[in-house]
Parts: sequence; structure tokens; C-alpha cells
Amino acid sequence: MTIDLLPLRVVIADDDPDIRALVTIAVKRAGLDLVDSCSDGTAAWESLQAHAPDVAILDVAMPGMTGLEVCRLVRADARLSGIRILMLSAAVADRSRQAGLVAGADEYFIKPFSPRLLAERLSLLAAGATR
Amino acid sequence: MTVLQKLTTRVQQIGRRISSIVPSPLLKQVPTLILGLVAALILATSSSVRITDLPAVIAGGIGIVVATFLAWMLVLNVRWQRYVLVVPAIDAIAFSVLRYGTDGFDSVFAAAASVPLLWFTVEAGRRHLILSIVGALLSLYAASLLFSGGDLSTSAEHVRERFTFAVVCTVACMVVFGLMRQSRNRVDEFERMLAESRALAEKVHMAEGLLRGLWDAITEQSAIGTDVTGLIDAWNPGAVKMFGITESAAINQRRIHEFHLPDELAARATELDTVIDSNSANPGFEALIETARLGVSDVREWTYLRDDGGHIPVELSVTTRLSDTGETVGYLFVAHDLTRAQDASRLKDEFVGLISHELRTPLSSILGYLELMRDDRDEAPLSDSRLTYLDVAERNANRLLRLVGDLMFTAQVESGTFQLNEQTQRVAPILATSIESAGPVADAAGIEMVLEMSEDCIVNADGMRLGQACDNLISNAIKFTPRGGRVTVGLVGSASSATITVADTGMGIPAKELDQLFSRFFRASTATRNAVQGVGLGLVITRAIARAHGGEMGVTSEEGVGTTFSMTLPLVQRQRLLRPIVGV
Repeated sequence: MTIDLLPLRVVIADDDPDIRALVTIAVKRAGLDLVDSCSDGTAAWESLQAHAPDVAILDVAMPGMTGLEVCRLVRADARLSGIRILMLSAAVADRSRQAGLVAGADEYFIKPFSPRLLAERLSLLAAGATR
Repeated sequence: MTVLQKLTTRVQQIGRRISSIVPSPLLKQVPTLILGLVAALILATSSSVRITDLPAVIAGGIGIVVATFLAWMLVLNVRWQRYVLVVPAIDAIAFSVLRYGTDGFDSVFAAAASVPLLWFTVEAGRRHLILSIVGALLSLYAASLLFSGGDLSTSAEHVRERFTFAVVCTVACMVVFGLMRQSRNRVDEFERMLAESRALAEKVHMAEGLLRGLWDAITEQSAIGTDVTGLIDAWNPGAVKMFGITESAAINQRRIHEFHLPDELAARATELDTVIDSNSANPGFEALIETARLGVSDVREWTYLRDDGGHIPVELSVTTRLSDTGETVGYLFVAHDLTRAQDASRLKDEFVGLISHELRTPLSSILGYLELMRDDRDEAPLSDSRLTYLDVAERNANRLLRLVGDLMFTAQVESGTFQLNEQTQRVAPILATSIESAGPVADAAGIEMVLEMSEDCIVNADGMRLGQACDNLISNAIKFTPRGGRVTVGLVGSASSATITVADTGMGIPAKELDQLFSRFFRASTATRNAVQGVGLGLVITRAIARAHGGEMGVTSEEGVGTTFSMTLPLVQRQRLLRPIVGV
């Protein structure tokens, strides 16, 4: 099946352009296909609906809509059921992580994060999905 | 009607009663006046009375009129009260003159002169009694002396008559005097009571004024009084302000629990389930007063409910109102609005959160790109010196990150939002991990690390936080110990506690600085002198962690010899190690 050989499609969202660039590098190193890069929550939600990617990497504190809100919308939408969501947040408290997981995130990365570890995590995800 | 008004009215009543007990001079003059009129009537109608000297009769009549006028004047002018006895004296003289004008010695009016003299008897003091008796006798015998030329030895009948009259006069005077003394004592007593009541009324008035002033001055706290059923009977200006309900609209109209969130009352009632009778008519009110009823002042946070549906977070103190006999007659609810305090606390949390986020985001970029640079060695291999530069940049970025974390954590501890994720935890592995991670730093600083423990302890702890506390203590010990020194980490269990000790052979802390050691941003003088890095948050955080676990921190130190920090935690269980660990 050829479809299995296609790289996973990723949408990322973060209001900080430098972080966006950093995540982009990690995504590319993991060999994934970056389909869109958004700078706020509203744009992220529109992009997710339009592209229905395999992976979404969302910052929590974004203008428009927070990553948590986008996450909840995705989880409430049956058409987007297959999306793996990675949250990125500068909030370190345990309850912030809990809030992210409750909202429906699969992974919760605390900023500052290691681009190497993020890339490794994405590679594992890709391997798992294409296996 | 206030208590004071009632008291004042009562005092006035008593005053009126006292003045009615003591007759006025005019009233005392009335019998004499009547007697004078009767005499005038007899003189005018009876032919058996012989007028021997008309001017004397007229003079006597004028005397009585003048005395009566004087008595009236005395009533009008109280200041002349002490000359009151002039009135009966004039009366007595007037009757004597009248007697002289009507056949002298044998006058029908012979006894009349003794009547006004009774007046002396009613005055206070024994001398008045004696004066009145002497006066009466004089009026009797002076006439005999005057009109019979000093011949007192008339007929035996005359002598007996006169003597009997004297005895009657004396007895009458004494009886009147006795009665008067009795009633006078009573009057005195009344007057004393009156004075006391007045003083009391004044005190009550002052106290009431003070209380009223205080009550009205409390405008930022609501103070609400109720009876034992919760019906409101006192409502201060603070309550008016808080609820927007006037005093008259609240008193005897509303019940205290109507101003509470029903859910909160229900929750508290459930909490107190064992003590509240579930059949009680109003479990919500019972829940509100339960603690206060036991005689304990009950202070806790509640939410007041305004009639417009608005919620007011308050700190409410409930106390019992007792009667003089110690019976509970009601409750007092004093509350202050926490809205502003909560807003301030929330703003602070938001601010700290924002600052933390704003600092961590650029640090994410710095650390992320530094890592990329290091990892991209294939593209353009970096020289060793450049790798060292990267190390320095990375180390400092991490230091900044730790500082942000520490500040954030301190803020959480202060605002009380710091939470533990507690589980039963073995202490030994946590210590081992901390020592292991400190290894490279200790090696670089030329410091020997030693672990000493003969048994493991199991405690209820947040493993991550406890690890952070141990890391802090160990990194502190390394920082403050010169090359060639030693840091010894120990664990000792007792019956109820586990004690972690971290001892160094460092520069020590001056004794007078030991008690400030756990203050925020405090740095020991030995630390600044030796240019040891830090901002003074590590120990604050370490102690906050220890206390959050129900434990405590301790420290002993000797300058130039070393410092030992100890952290004591409540013990769950001790566990003997298969092989005691000494050294690393």
C-alpha cells in the first residue's frame, strides 16, 4: 500500500516565530511533512479542519484560542479523530500538564524543550503509525 | 423606646414621688390658716367670746395673713428655704396676740398658739423637737405669767388642766417628730436611689453613645445580630452597604441564612452531620452556628448571597450572644469582604504566571538553538574552544531557567497554590539519585561525596519535590566547600521521623546569621565574601518543601569548620538495608 509510505502530515501552531522555526526543524529532522504553520489558535483550528493532518503540535498560550481550546474542539470533532496532538507549554505546574491531558493531548512538552528529543518523539510516532 | 429613655422616665417618676412626700411650706401653713379662719368665724358669730383689745385681734389676723404670704413666697423661691421656720414663728406670735385681744388668759384661743409650733417638730433635728415643746409650753405658761401677775397657784383644777394640756402637747410633738423622722429617712433613701439611678442612667447613656458610635463607624464590615432562630435583630451600616438593604427592611423581616449560598450551608451541614439533628427545621442555620454554639468563636470563609443574586466572598466570624445568666439569646455575624483580597491574589498569580511564561519562551529559543548548533557538527565541525563557548552559554541559560523556576515556586508557596503529589516513597533512592547527579560538579570542584545510611526510610512524599530539596542541599554544600573538602549525606530513622542530613567541611555560617538563613533573598556574609553564586532562594524553597510534607529544617554551623543541614520528615516505616552504605 503506497499510502503507508507517505510521511505523516503535521500542522504546528505557536505565536513565537523562533519557536515555530525550532519546531519546524525538529519536524523536518524526524522526516515528517509540515503542511502548515500557524501563529494563533483560530488559524490553527481552521488549518486543522482544512488539512486534517496526522499530527498537531500546539502551543498552549496563544492569542485567539488557547491550545487547550483547539485541542478540545479537535477531540469533539469526529472527522478529526485520528489526529495525534502534542502540546507545548511554558507552564510547568503539574495541574497544567493535567489540564493538557484532560483536554485530550497525547503528549505534553514543557518549554524549554530539546529539539532533539522532540524530533526523536516524532520519529517514534511516525514509525508507530506506518508500521 | 431605648433603655435610656425608659430609665430617664423612671427616674423622673421617682423624683415626683419624693417631692410629693415632703409637703411644701404653703401646705404646712394650711392648718394654721384654717384655724385662723375658724377663729375669725367664731369672733364674728359667737357673742360669748369677749374682745378685749380690737387692734390686737386685727394684728393677730394680719400676722397670719403675712405668714401665709411668706409661705407662698418660700414655695416660689427655693433659695429662702432655710428661713422657713420664720413662718410658724410669726403664726405663733399672731395667735398669742389674738389671745391677748380676746380676754387674755381665759381666751378660747389659748391653745391655738401651739398649733404652728408643731411645724418645728416636722423639721429635721432634735433641737426642733425641743424648740417646739418649749415653745408650746411657753405659749401656755407665758400667758399665765403675763395675765395673772406671776401667780401660778390658781385652783387645782386650773393646774391640772394646764398640766394635762402640756403633757398632750409634748406627746403630740414627740409622735409627730417620730413619724416625720421615719418618713424623712424614707425620703433620704429615695433621694439616694434617685442619685444612683441618675448616675447609672448617665453611664448607660455614655456607654450606649460609644457603642452606637462604634456600630455606626463599622462600614466596611457587616455586623448582623440574630435571635436563636436566626431572625435578624441588628443590622449595621456595613451590612447596609454590603447587601444594599436598609436596617428596617432587614430587622425582624429577614433570617441570616437567606444571605448564604444554600449549597455552602448544605455542604457544611453534611460535614457536621454527626452533630446536627437531620430532623432539625433548618439544618442550614444549624450548620452556620454549630461551632459558635459550643462556645468557640468560629471564623471561616463563606459566600454571602445578595438579593440581586451577586456573590460576596467573606471571612465570617460567628459568636454567641449571652444573657446575664449565661443563656444563649442569639448570635452575632461579623464579616469582611474578601473580594478585593481575592482579586489581588488572583492578579498576583496571573502576573507571576505571565512573567514566568514570558521568561521561559525566550529561554526555550536560546536553549533550543544552542542544542541545534551543537548537534549540527556534521555540517560545520566546531572547534573545541567554540564548543566551550556553547557550554558556557548553555550553562548560563540553564541557570536563568532554574532561577525562573525558583521564583515561580516561591510565588506559589507564598500564594498557597503550591501542591504536592504525595505517594509512599523510599528515601534512599532519592538520595542516591541526587548524589549521582551532583557527581560531575563535585568531581570538578575536587570535593569528595559520601553517603552514610544503615537503613532506608519510607515517607509520604512528592518524589520530585523531595529530590529538588535534596539537590538544593547538596549543591549548596558543594558550592560552599573549598577544594579538597567533603560533603556527607546521611539518613537516620527514629520512631516517628526520617532525618536527612547534608554536612560539609566548608566555610560555615556566622551564628548570628543562622536564623535569617531561611529568609527570602538572604545571603550569608561568608557566601558574598567568597563570591558564591546564588540569589538566596534555595533554602526558602527547601524549607517550604519540608514543611509542606509536615517536616522541618534544621541547621548547625561553625565558621571555618562546616555546616550541617537536616531535614526531618514524618516517618511511615523503617526498612533495614541488606548492606549498610558507607561512602560512595
